[in-house]
Amino acid sequence: MSWALVWLVAFAVAFGAFTLISLVIAVRGVDEIRELFAALEEERRRKASRPE
Amino acid sequence: MSAPPIVSPFSLLDGAIAVLSLVATLWIGLRVKRYIGTIEDYLVANRGMGLYVGAASLLSTEVGIITYMYQAQFGFVAGFSAFVTGLITLGVCLLVGRTGFVITRLREMQILTVPEYFETRYGRSVRVLAGVLMAFGGSLNLGIFPIIEARFLAIVTGIPSRYLGFTMAGLLLVALAYTALGGMVSLIVTNYVQYVFLAAGTVIVTLACLRHVGWSGMVGAVEGHLGGRGMNPIADLGLGFILWQVLLWIALMTVWQSVAMRTFSTKDAAVGKKMFTLTGFLFLGRALIPMVWGISALAFFWGRAEPVTAPVAETKLAQMEQLDARLGETFRRDLDEGRIGRALPQVDLLERLAGEEKQRIAAAGAGDDDAARRSGAAERFEDRAKDRRGEIGLLAMPWMLAAILPTGILGLVVAGMLAASISTYAGYFLGWSSIIAQDIVAPLLSSRGASFELSSRARLRLTRLTVLGLTVFIMIWSLVYDLPGPAYFYLQVTANLFMAPTLIAVVGGLYWRRASAAGATLAFVLGALTSLAYLVPSLKVDVATAGNLSWALAVAGFVVGSLLVPRKRHEPAPPLALANPEARS
Repeated sequence: MSWALVWLVAFAVAFGAFTLISLVIAVRGVDEIRELFAALEEERRRKASRPE
Repeated sequence: MSAPPIVSPFSLLDGAIAVLSLVATLWIGLRVKRYIGTIEDYLVANRGMGLYVGAASLLSTEVGIITYMYQAQFGFVAGFSAFVTGLITLGVCLLVGRTGFVITRLREMQILTVPEYFETRYGRSVRVLAGVLMAFGGSLNLGIFPIIEARFLAIVTGIPSRYLGFTMAGLLLVALAYTALGGMVSLIVTNYVQYVFLAAGTVIVTLACLRHVGWSGMVGAVEGHLGGRGMNPIADLGLGFILWQVLLWIALMTVWQSVAMRTFSTKDAAVGKKMFTLTGFLFLGRALIPMVWGISALAFFWGRAEPVTAPVAETKLAQMEQLDARLGETFRRDLDEGRIGRALPQVDLLERLAGEEKQRIAAAGAGDDDAARRSGAAERFEDRAKDRRGEIGLLAMPWMLAAILPTGILGLVVAGMLAASISTYAGYFLGWSSIIAQDIVAPLLSSRGASFELSSRARLRLTRLTVLGLTVFIMIWSLVYDLPGPAYFYLQVTANLFMAPTLIAVVGGLYWRRASAAGATLAFVLGALTSLAYLVPSLKVDVATAGNLSWALAVAGFVVGSLLVPRKRHEPAPPLALANPEARS
């Protein structure tokens, strides 16, 4: 296998994976952000209700 | 007749798109400030980060305009051989993701920074020493970002170069605002939004490169214009360079503060491991995609190259002198106006003439003073040509984008690049300022007595103040420092300065009972000094030599120091008891 072919395959994998994973992150990330906010809000409420 | 300068088609519409994206990010960043209560919220988002947001945050931090610029420059000067570093990154990410090497143990310890581990294992002095070196190397590393990024923005938006300083200041101020106020929670949320922008921009630019130049055009440019180099990384870069990259990437993926902070912010160690596997492929793209942009720029500007002939002179040396003088008059202006097609063939010719002259002198085998003088002169011209090729390599990609991207699309790409850049500043500001506040100032103050113990709120204030100080420092450094070679090498060496000893001291501390504070201290001193040698241009230390020597001396120092001065009785408990949560309970 020539170097040119190796680099073509490597680039195709890199670009394909980058595009695909980025799409998954864009879609699934929204739920995770919501969860993070909910957890932080919960923590804030818990701390606020705790007596000093 | 010479080609006209490139004029960016950046319009009001493009500007509006870029500004709107910035305002949206800033607004989101500032809105999450209300969630910040403690230093843990600020630095590691109360350890609640999920897999996909974690991957987005990690990549947004590690991809900025600077990344696109130095990777494109590496692709421009080294061709496809540069790809090997991307493959190494993928291999290391998969290894760390599958085995949890170092990251699992550090995550289980619930620490905020890597040097914090050093205090529990080696004592406070090692923590402070590591903190000082990390802050120093990290700040030097970050210090060249603004000037390089401002040059990118000036080229693609058409901002006159006299406003570079203002462009830099604007970039830094936006990042400063929401990092100082929102910390890691702000970062995670804004990084996610920024990731969407940067991924879109990355895909658009890559498609534009493939459309305008095509894969075969890139292969043709590398084969035809890199003097027989550009395909075989072992022959071009050497095994020493490849070995150093493997070691450095293992360190970067495990103990580099901004990466480690993402590990510490994950919900648990299992999410941390999965995040590395997922980001391995993103890191492959982070390297190869911009390298392809650089190779595209090489092909694009060779396609616009103006013919150049060697000056008429009696000797090769005289020809080189004339050519160098001509470049001295036109090179800077050509770069500023995007006339890469005129500068590149002249630089190429100078390098070729110098190489031929060196070969001719070596083949003649004359060892007299005249031969030595001519050889020295040829080497000087060759070095100058290489430096100029590097400078062209840094700016060729943005000039190509200004030439090929239409209005509207250019605005989207600039929005993506700005997002990438600001998230990187924010991530690094937070990373290095947390080291300065948590590992240098706070331990030094608390060692003076209980009355100097800092509260969580005081540490938070201190970290925010440090972010401000860092901003001022990198603004100044960016304006005064001249790079000793390609930006890629500078960035890797400033990271290596503390990465080699840090990884060795962490691994040694976790897995070797005899590791001692003396060994760790010696590793940090020797590892840092060797890397620093590269940054002093007059020493002319080759980058791979500096890198590998730094690792070798750090290992030697760690082992010899630990054996000669063993762990004292009052030094903290052996590593495995600390590292293993079951053992702790």
